[in-house]
Amino acid sequence: MPDVILKNLPFLLHGLWLTVELSVWSIVLGTLLGLLVGTIRFVRVPVLNVLAAIYVEIIRGTPLLVVLFITYFALPALFGYRTTAYRAAIFGFVLFIAAYLAEDFRAGLRAVRPTLIQAGLATGLTRWQVLRHIILPQAVRRVLPSLFNQYVRLIKFTSVASVIGVTELTGAGLLINARDFHPVTILATIAIVYLVVCSALSLAGRALYAQFGVRT
Amino acid sequence: MNYHFDWTPIWAARGLIAEGLLLTIALSAASLALSTIIGLIVGGAATARSRTVRACALFFTETMRNIPLLIHMYIWYMAFSFLRLPAFSCAVLGLSLYSGAYVAEVVRAGIGAVGRGQMQAALATGLTGLQAMRLIVYPQALRIIAPSLASLFSQLIKDSSLASVIAVGELTYQAGAIDGQTFRTFEVYITISLIYLVLVTAASQLVLLIPGARNEAAAGRFADA
Repeated sequence: MPDVILKNLPFLLHGLWLTVELSVWSIVLGTLLGLLVGTIRFVRVPVLNVLAAIYVEIIRGTPLLVVLFITYFALPALFGYRTTAYRAAIFGFVLFIAAYLAEDFRAGLRAVRPTLIQAGLATGLTRWQVLRHIILPQAVRRVLPSLFNQYVRLIKFTSVASVIGVTELTGAGLLINARDFHPVTILATIAIVYLVVCSALSLAGRALYAQFGVRT
Repeated sequence: MNYHFDWTPIWAARGLIAEGLLLTIALSAASLALSTIIGLIVGGAATARSRTVRACALFFTETMRNIPLLIHMYIWYMAFSFLRLPAFSCAVLGLSLYSGAYVAEVVRAGIGAVGRGQMQAALATGLTGLQAMRLIVYPQALRIIAPSLASLFSQLIKDSSLASVIAVGELTYQAGAIDGQTFRTFEVYITISLIYLVLVTAASQLVLLIPGARNEAAAGRFADA
């Protein structure tokens, strides 16, 4: 390994750890929020449905960088609270990815055959039970590939947190580069790390789909 | 919430915003053109008969897609600094290689959806392989993938905001500058986020102008890439 990487290995590893942390928090919370919003839009809960639609459309039309600026600079200014770059980044990622996931979940929910819903209701299940035991499990299994696409996208997007000053993998690399100036080595190393992590996750997604997926 | 809204500085800075908007449009248009060319070539190569060509295409798409766009930009801007490319070109190259890989995946799927018989019939009528691709397969594939292309291109427009980190003076960059001068943080970012929304919506409607694309969109969105 090149000297500049070896010398800064602990710092880079810490950056990688932050990237993993950011990704895991955002994926878990984003999936929950996305599932909630997607279900609200599928069931057409009055009022909430309209709010959910506005949220999804606005976020899907806004670049991630701008979303991060809003959660880091604009919202704290507006509501007068303090935040850290790390928390603002997670907040932004969750808001961002949940809007895309909500659309995926909604598409999956709509793809479940209506006869199954009728059959569920006919056996005496309540509407909530039908949703929870019949529709949701199928919908989730159906949209697994899109979910993992979004997850991979999110991991790549965590690099944007470096712009608001989080020293995750990219931020750490840029700092090291500012001190030691080896852009080729450092950027190549970071690129390879992302490449490995993202490829691993998409392979995992494919394996999971092969195991549990529902094909149409 | 005792935030005092003041939109006058935003209106006063409309010149900067317009300048940024123009650069965002130029950046997106250039990258869109280049990534479509990359996508058509690599996507076509991914369906080639030769195994080596297919493997090269796969290698290209997998590497380009799995490296964050921000890193793409920094690579052209800092690692290849000896090329002395202006920041704008670095941004176009980074965006095009990154999005080109996504376009390639969509094109590959579209070609797969056209049906083998079309190609065989074209070859049987005496067209060369390239002619058959250009005249028979691509036009049909393009129609099928129009909705996916629309969502890829709207992503590209949003992704162009990352060019601000290598000091390309596009919309997000100008927003940062205006924010720095006026401290109207919320107003600035809400304004440009709405501008992006309009831009993205308009662009995805444009793609659907491809003849026949609207029917495909109505028939159900093709799997998102």
